[in-house]
Parts: sequence; structure tokens; C-alpha cells
Amino acid sequence: MVFKVFFPICCSAAESGLLVGCWIPEQNSVVILAVIHFPFIPGQVKQYLSDVQHVTQVNMSVLGSWCNSKQEKEEGLDKFLEDLGAIFSHNPWVLLSREKGSKFWNCSTIWKRSSGNEEDEIILVYYDQRKVMLSELHPPENLATSTHCKADDASKLTAVFDTVAKSKILFMTDQYDDGPIKLTHWQSEGVEASIIVELMKQASVPACTLMTFLLSVVSSICKSRVLKFWPLSFIWSKLSTCEQLGHRLEHLQTISSIRKAKTQAQLMRKANIFVSLLVDVALGMLLMSWLYRKNRIGQLADTLIPVADHVAKELQDLLQWLMGVPAGLKMNRALDQVLGRFFLYHIHLWISYIHLMSPFIEMILWYVGLSACLGLTMALSILSDIIALLTFHIYCFYVYGARLYCLKIYGLSSLWRLFRGKKWNVLRQRVDSCSYDLDHSLLALCCLQSCCFCCPRLHCITWCLLW
Amino acid sequence: VCAQLGISSRQHWQKVLYKRQPFPDNYVDQRFLEELRKNIHARKYQFWAVVFESSVVIQQLCSVCVFVVIWWYMDVGLLAPQLLFGAGLVLSLIGYVLFDAIDSGVGRKERGQTRWSDLKSSLVFVAFTYGFSPVLKTLTESVSTDTIYAMSVFMLLGHLIFFDYGANAAIVSSTLSLNMAIFASVCLASRLPRSLHAFVMVTFAIQIFALWPMLQKKLKAQNPCSYVGVTLLFALFALVGLLTISSVGAILFTLLLASISFLCPYCLIELQLLKDNIHGPWDEAEIKEDLSRFIS
Repeated sequence: MVFKVFFPICCSAAESGLLVGCWIPEQNSVVILAVIHFPFIPGQVKQYLSDVQHVTQVNMSVLGSWCNSKQEKEEGLDKFLEDLGAIFSHNPWVLLSREKGSKFWNCSTIWKRSSGNEEDEIILVYYDQRKVMLSELHPPENLATSTHCKADDASKLTAVFDTVAKSKILFMTDQYDDGPIKLTHWQSEGVEASIIVELMKQASVPACTLMTFLLSVVSSICKSRVLKFWPLSFIWSKLSTCEQLGHRLEHLQTISSIRKAKTQAQLMRKANIFVSLLVDVALGMLLMSWLYRKNRIGQLADTLIPVADHVAKELQDLLQWLMGVPAGLKMNRALDQVLGRFFLYHIHLWISYIHLMSPFIEMILWYVGLSACLGLTMALSILSDIIALLTFHIYCFYVYGARLYCLKIYGLSSLWRLFRGKKWNVLRQRVDSCSYDLDHSLLALCCLQSCCFCCPRLHCITWCLLW
Repeated sequence: VCAQLGISSRQHWQKVLYKRQPFPDNYVDQRFLEELRKNIHARKYQFWAVVFESSVVIQQLCSVCVFVVIWWYMDVGLLAPQLLFGAGLVLSLIGYVLFDAIDSGVGRKERGQTRWSDLKSSLVFVAFTYGFSPVLKTLTESVSTDTIYAMSVFMLLGHLIFFDYGANAAIVSSTLSLNMAIFASVCLASRLPRSLHAFVMVTFAIQIFALWPMLQKKLKAQNPCSYVGVTLLFALFALVGLLTISSVGAILFTLLLASISFLCPYCLIELQLLKDNIHGPWDEAEIKEDLSRFIS
């Protein structure tokens, strides 16, 4: 039978010593877990191994010797190693040695039985201790139906995996522990390098608690009843800055919550929010440093007013064009004039308002620029709000146009039903016939005609303004 | 065939679907044509009765004619709007009195209509039309005159088509016909020189298209002799009015009226002889009961 030796990769550079591991006689294989370095007292080693065995429930024992000769081969070492086999009596005794400058390893076994004289084949299997420890071998699903040979193989490997996984406690001791025995095996990187991280971990809990408290105070203020009345709540819903602030508050609450992230996805989410916050603030700072240099705010304020004036002038030109004969369409003149003057007056009002504001615009911009330190997105949302406020008249036109258009369509449809002597029955959700009185029909007819003949005009104005 | 006859002699065929019978689906026996009926809905028309009934159409045609003539007079300035308004007012009052006098106020009591409500609605009319007339005047300013004329013609034609002449058909809709007439009147009124003209024109349209047919209907039901007289007078009036504008138009209109009142009834009676309707068990099922009371 083939003799298998499972050897951890991390031990290939270890100094000479004893091989410690587990002997699985059913499979005729040896799983090496660690290497014990040379200056040792055999009694201590035995004591240590029995302690470990007690904790891990793995049948650990000294399996052989490991020789990593850095210098020239010494005389008598081979003999010494073989003698060790007599001290730690184990059957079989594995002799592994690696020579300097040579790629080849020597591996041999000494069987106590005199009958075991036959030369066994030996297979040396390297394994990554950490990966094997963390992983678990799942046997194939269709175990019963597949060949038994494969199932056996799988169970053998499972035993190896189990052995390594069970001896996890062995790997917890790190290389700086001053024990009586020096071991080489896989181990974590040690805690000393991450003292700062540890300190931060310790400090983060009270910091998070404080932040949570502050944030809950802020959010309770935001949610208070006073701010929920009709005009205010409407304004909040329209301003993008408020929305942005709400998002930001939510993010901060997510980050600073003391509860531990349960799944990997949650942890990633937290980290993602944190990093985006940092990047946001950094960009905001950059923007601020750019804005407050060389009086750029003043320049911006100086260009803003002419732009608003220009837009208003363009709008006025458009309205004048609409009040005439737009694109050769002859329209209802009276309605034209009324609507056109109404909109012109609106623009006039707006322009005078902006001119009234102009001395303060620079100051406003200066204070608004400070908000960039809260993050670039905050600055952008405030910018969008400012633009929305500056073009409020256009929005008003849009609302008027849409309302008029809706009213007209609705009126036309119902008046057309009336013209045909029908009406919409609300209870049955259908159109019924109905005999109207003479005065009703006359009144409706006049309205219908007004609607009909004003229709193209309104269409034209509405579409132009909506555009 | 012999086998079939043998079967039929033994088993009697029945015109029912719920029994399984040894005949093909399309089998009928000799009694099939026994139930054939011919021309069961054909009526015997009296010539003069048909002429009398056709007077409703004559009246409506004359109304449209008179309306157009009056509009033309107003447009060229031969008729002052005040005069027309006064005449219309007086005629309306006479018609109102007549309306009550014909059946000595029975119809009014049945409908539960008071004089006060009449006065109110007429006041609403006048006030509303007067207030709206400037708007109506300027409404179609930018629309081409030809478009207006075409629209008016279509509307008046629609009025004549959808008018309730007493026939029981689906196409009849008195509301639609009245609306179309008033639409035409508003269109035409917007071409008149001033808003007072437009106001008088719309008022006149309401009188001639809404009130006048109501009076006619009552007159026809209660006093047929006087109805014939009124129709003749009205037709004569329309013809004279048209003659003052164009003689060719008057001649054509006369021909139209004559053909509708005499030629068409004659043709109807002549063609009745050629009527060949067959009825039998193959007809569609007909619901005899009047279901309209459930629907409305």
C-alpha cells in the first residue's frame, strides 16, 4: 500500500526538528501539522502533545524527524535522528530531510516490524494548512450510486480535512509566545501590527454612540410636528437640498449604528457609504478651495444677473412673436393679447425682483459656497435649487399652460357630449342620452364655440411655453 | 330518398330542437310554406293625408330659408336690428298667448310649468346672449369667411337631417338638431357688422328654431285646419323673401317644396303597389313589448 505524507507548505522552510501530527493507520497516511524545533526536552514535548490532544481530541503524536540542513551535512546527524525514533517510539518513523542547494527531498520510513522490510512507495503531499483548515470537503451527492471506490477516496480525504480542522487550537499560538517548545506551523500575522486599528476599534464604539445620539436628536427635530404643516412640507418636498440632507442623515445613521453588520453584504454596504462620504467631502473641499481663491464668487455673481436678464429678454421676444402671427398661423387676436400681456407682466415682475436681489447675490453665494464642506453633492443640490428659484417664472408659465390646456381639453370633451345631447353618467360610468333645457344648451353652445375657436391659439401658446 | 320517405311516413317530423329525430338538420316538411305571409305591414296611404304630414318638412325648410333671408338682409344693412328685435318680440308674445290659448292651458298644467319660470328663462336667454354677443362677434374674426359659410351650410343641413319630424328612428335627435342650428346662427352672426346685430340674430335663431316648432306641433295636434293655413302662409312668406334676393333661388325653392309636398307622396303611394315583402317562420325573432320604459 502506498504510504502518504501530508506536509504543510509553511513548514518547508522550518528549522530541523520533530514532525508532529496525526497517524491515520486505516489509510496508511500521515498528516503533519507542525514542526518542533530542536532544543527541546522530550518530557516537555510529550506533556505538550498530551495537553493539545486533550483539547483538540486529535490523536497527536511525534511522527518523525525533519532535517533542513543549512550547512554541510554533519556526520552523526543521521544517526541522531534515527535515535530519536527510539525515544519517541512511533511506528512508522518518518525521516524527512531537505538538503541545501538541492531541489530533492529525502523521505524514508522506518518500520519497527521486522516483517515490514518491503520498500513502500511514499507520496509526499503538500497542503496549504490555512485553506484546508477553513474549508470543508463535501462528499459527492450521488454517493450511493457512484462507484464505491470514489466514495472511499472521498471519505479518506475527509478524514485528512477533519484532522486539520480540528487542530485549529494548535495554530492559535503565535510565534512570539515564549513557551518551552518552539513550533512552526501556519499562523495568523500577529496582533502587534494592528495596535492602532485596535485602538480605533476601542474608540469607535463611544464615538458611534455619541454620533447616534446627535443624529437622533437632529432627526427628531426634522420629524417634529411643527415642520409638517402644509406649506412647509410642500416646500421641503420641492427643494432638492432638503432631500439631499435627508439622504445624508440616513447614511450617517447607517454608518454610526452600533449594531454589528450581520452579513457580508451589509458590511460592504456600510464600507461603501463610508468611502463615498469621504470622497464626497474631499471633492467638496477641493471645490471650496477653488471657489474662494481669486474672488471667483464675485465674478460668478456678476455674470448671473446678465444671464437672467438675457433669458428674460429671449422669453419676451418669444411672447411677442406668439402674439403676432406665429409661423403664419392666424389666431384669435383678443385671447392672444390677453395671454401675452399676462405672461409679459409676469416676466417683468420677475426681472424687477431679481434686480432687487442683485446686491445680496454675492453674499448669498459666499455663504452657500461654505456648504461645499459638507460634500460636493450638497453643493450641487444647493446649486440646482438656486437655478430652480432663478427660473421660477418659466416654471409658472409651464403650470399655467398645463392648467389651461387641461381645462380646455376637459371642457371640450364634455361640451361635445352636450352638443350631441348626451351626458356622462357618473354613477354608471358611461355616456347616457339626456334632454337639456333650452337655456342650458344655449349657454353650453356658446362655451363650446369659444373653446372651439380658441383651441388652436391655446394649443400654440401652450406648446411653445411647454417647450 | 325512398328510405327517408319511409322514415318520415312512419315518424312525424317536428320543428323542435330538443328531440333527436332521424332527419338531416336542414330538413323541412311540406307545411313549410303554409306560414308564408306577404306585405303584412303595408299600409294604405291616402294622398292628402300624406301631403298633410309632409308639411312638417315644408315648415322646417321654410324656417331655414327665412333665417338665411333675414340674415342676408341684416348683412347688407336693409334690415335694422332694432326692427327685427321688436318684430320678434311681438311675434313671440303672440305665439306665447296662442300656445296657451290652443289647448286652454291644459298642457302647461300637465307639465307643471308656471309663467314665472317662462319669464325667468327668457330673461336669462336675453341677458346671456346680450352679454356674450361681443365675444361671439370676435370669436371667429381670424377664421376665413368661406370657412364660416361652409360650416353654417353643414350645420343647417345637419339640423334638417336630425330634426324630429315625428318619425321613430335612431338618427333623430332634437337636441343635436337644435344645437347645430344655433351653432350655424352664431357662425353667421359673427359676420354681421356689429355686436347688436349678432345678438338679434342669435335671438331670432332661437325663436325660429326652438320656439316656432313647438307652437307648430301643438297647432298640428289641436287644430289641423289652421295649421295648414299657417304652413301655406309661412311658405309664401319664405318664397317672397327669397324672391327679393334671387329669382332663380325662389324658383328652385318652389320646385323643391312642390316636389316634397306633392311628388314625393305620389311616388310613395305608387310604389306601395310594388311592395313585395314576405314574412314567415324564417324571420328573426321580434320583441313585441315596448322596452323603452325600462331603459330610460
